[in-house]
Amino acid sequence: MGATASKLEKALGDQFPEGERYFGLENFGNTSSLFGDGFSLLEQLLEYYSNNKNVAEVDENLLTCLADLFNQCQIVARLTPRSDWRITEINSSKKKTGVIAPKRFVQRVKKQNELFRSYMHQDAHEFLNFLLNELVDILEKEGNDINDSPGTSSQAEQNVNGPVHLQENGAKKEPLLTWVHKSFQGILTNETRCLRCETVTARDETFLDLSLDIEQNSSITSCLKNFSSTETLNAEDKFFCDKCCSLQEAQKRMKIKKPPNVLVIHLKRFKYIEQLGRYKKLSYRVVFPLELKLSNTVENADSEYSLFAVVVHVGSGPNHGHYISLVKSHNHWLFFDDENVEMMDESHVQTFFGSAQEYSSNTDHGYILFYENLSVGN
Amino acid sequence: MASPSSSMNPPSPALKTYFKSPEGRYKLQYEKTHPAGLLHYSHGKSVSQLIIAYLKEKSASQGPSAPSTPSSSSVVKSAAARLFVGVNGSKTFSYGGTNGGSKVASGTSKFGGTFGAGSSSSPVASNYDGKGAYLIFNAGDTLFISDLNSSDKDPIKAIHFSSSNPLCHSFDSEAKDGHDLLIGLQSGDIYTVSLRQQLQDLGKKLVGAQHYNKDGTINSSRCTCVAWVPDGDGIFVVAHADGNLYVYEKSKDGAVDPSFPAIKDPTQFTVAHARSSRSNPTIRWHICQGSINSMSFSIDGTYLATVGRDGYLRVFDYYKERLFCGGKSYYGALLCCAWSPDGKYILIGGEDDLVQVWSMDARKIVACGEGHNSWVSGVAFDSYWSAPNSDGNSDGTAENAMYRFGSVGQDTRLLLWDLEMDEIVVPQRYNPLGGSPTLSSGSHSSAHWDSAPSIGTLQPPPSMRDVPKLSPLSAHRVHVEPLSGLIFTRESVVTICREGHIKIWARPGDGDVSEANSDSGFTTATAKDRHVAAPSVKVNGSSYKLSASNFIRN
Repeated sequence: MGATASKLEKALGDQFPEGERYFGLENFGNTSSLFGDGFSLLEQLLEYYSNNKNVAEVDENLLTCLADLFNQCQIVARLTPRSDWRITEINSSKKKTGVIAPKRFVQRVKKQNELFRSYMHQDAHEFLNFLLNELVDILEKEGNDINDSPGTSSQAEQNVNGPVHLQENGAKKEPLLTWVHKSFQGILTNETRCLRCETVTARDETFLDLSLDIEQNSSITSCLKNFSSTETLNAEDKFFCDKCCSLQEAQKRMKIKKPPNVLVIHLKRFKYIEQLGRYKKLSYRVVFPLELKLSNTVENADSEYSLFAVVVHVGSGPNHGHYISLVKSHNHWLFFDDENVEMMDESHVQTFFGSAQEYSSNTDHGYILFYENLSVGN
Repeated sequence: MASPSSSMNPPSPALKTYFKSPEGRYKLQYEKTHPAGLLHYSHGKSVSQLIIAYLKEKSASQGPSAPSTPSSSSVVKSAAARLFVGVNGSKTFSYGGTNGGSKVASGTSKFGGTFGAGSSSSPVASNYDGKGAYLIFNAGDTLFISDLNSSDKDPIKAIHFSSSNPLCHSFDSEAKDGHDLLIGLQSGDIYTVSLRQQLQDLGKKLVGAQHYNKDGTINSSRCTCVAWVPDGDGIFVVAHADGNLYVYEKSKDGAVDPSFPAIKDPTQFTVAHARSSRSNPTIRWHICQGSINSMSFSIDGTYLATVGRDGYLRVFDYYKERLFCGGKSYYGALLCCAWSPDGKYILIGGEDDLVQVWSMDARKIVACGEGHNSWVSGVAFDSYWSAPNSDGNSDGTAENAMYRFGSVGQDTRLLLWDLEMDEIVVPQRYNPLGGSPTLSSGSHSSAHWDSAPSIGTLQPPPSMRDVPKLSPLSAHRVHVEPLSGLIFTRESVVTICREGHIKIWARPGDGDVSEANSDSGFTTATAKDRHVAAPSVKVNGSSYKLSASNFIRN
């Protein structure tokens, strides 16, 4: 590992970002492979965490473990100058690269959720959901303890991810906005138009990531288009129109009402195939651009995004495999594979698009994409 | 000729062997590929690109300038025999013989005229001193040459590069001395060779080559695109993945290190001339940050268009070495560009899945084509296509300027589009002078636009709500692999996928004559004859020279 470390330092040379440290994570049994993904996410968390860290923490929870992990590895990637970074000062280590064992964090994760206790390989997307929800819980609890302000009612919504967390239009519920929400949460509008009375019913729902169905040889742009395409509800699947007071044919479409600051796109590569009676990994080639705009928005403004991290699933099936991640830091792309951290050419990102044909030796496929909104803060 | 799926292609939803267009069916005429198994898993890094070289009849000056291998007739014959193995003798293509070819060639068309005369009816009579149309494409570490007019699937020539992969190529049929083929490598190395000499040689190595940027001494980044300067007298340009473009003179040795100054700001466009007149390259253009993905000269060589990783189309006044105009993609990198035959429009395609039409008059995007489900990797105008209502309008001033173009994408599909400028209405934008809010085909069309941007500036991304939308006429899945390029020829549309498989789609015959001959897979000679003759109406002036440097990018 020392060799790799120096290789990276050599590769970056004078360009090694000041105050930056790139650490790999030791693979801890099978479970640790889920850290591949952790990386891209964690560094983002870190940035926000640094801004919002509450000094008065008492109990050990997932958040403190996470902070601890970062304290050790100091991946301050993407830390913008405007962030006031406190943890940096704590670390006196001179080492710029290396390996650490995320022991405490893993233990905590296992303790918290029995799903991750086994030696089975875990789905990075599930883990991301778990982690974000867990963090939200902790932060909301902290927030309540500190503020104890009667105005915020954060109890009602525990599971903030996805459609479970519904928010009726006009409802006055205002859950505490944690930094997890501030960075990852967006709002979708589900517009349903009754084909009889033409009434449009709009329902908002928040999301922390978008899970997209994928097709062979398509692009993220195309997947997003399909996601927002108009769907006709008919036959078995009619819509109950409040105005008509009956089931009616309707047209439904999803639009993005509030684009998130960090857009997390999850490609549905693991699909249940009924004929087979089991899950199958779709190795489809889905190209993702380094810059992206959401055009399926309610408002006319296009928000522009830039890709900064990719979680890659390596393997041909749904039940085994490995995760690696690609992270853009200070305009350099880095390749994280357990304890290995290497420089990567930007053009290499395209080798993780997937396979144009089903039987291919290429098993490294982009699975979760992290885009940051370029208009934020400007 | 129902496509025999190659062993490399596992069964997939059957690909049709034809596709429909308003004027009839395009039919799969034949396929070209390279020996299977040659390509190992190459991480998708080397993308096959295709050009068509129309080799003219040998001029008075005998032989290529470089001393060739002993080209005794026996050598030529054996090579020729190898070349045409598999050509179905009874079904060869007469195209009205060479007469048809030379008749058209008497026009000013640079390449079009010689097309189709490559393989005469008797395989034995063919030799490399004659004319021919050749498909030149790269795959892995090899450059392949196939005879466009032969039904033989396999290439007639494979040139191996031991040091690095060939990535891009360009052919100049007007080359004065023998060197007409330009090849750019992954390592940054560049070669010029005589195509005829390669065809005459039986070996698997490049012969009689001149080598530039040896071992990447001047620039070690990947060659992304090479082009002969039109009527440039052996001057060619090479674009690299680091945003630099170099101008070379093929006759020059380049013994002196050009020593260009360091680039201070990589985002700024700068031109630096070599200090010594004895150096080759002679000029360096630093165009952009990141890769130049593709470039294309306007037919007359006045303008050079480049597209790149930064998402910008840039149009340069080539001789003045100045930025003329340009603009940004909707988002993401741009991957391909192509000029209209009259030099008025540029097609661009890229990672926003869009095909956009840039107007040189308006100096902005005037139409936007939505239809691909993935990145657009190749665009081309069909310079042989004539609008249905333009018959008899031989002076080319048809009221409705109509263009046909095609695009291919990583969605494995070929799309055909019509661009009729009179039909394009700019939404919510009216001429304050009361004129129609349309683009006319006239030379003063910029007058219809409120404020064309000033010369030398780059435009921001177009607002999708202001740009007229185009829909494709037809969309057809033509390959199982993502596509990397397309070329229109007089008789066909040629498509290539990233892995280097090529399909040739014959144009619909008049009244779909080819229907009757569908069993053969070839259109009959009569249909071909008619086709050769018909477009001559439009071949007037230099505007219909088909550029052999029709670059195909991934």
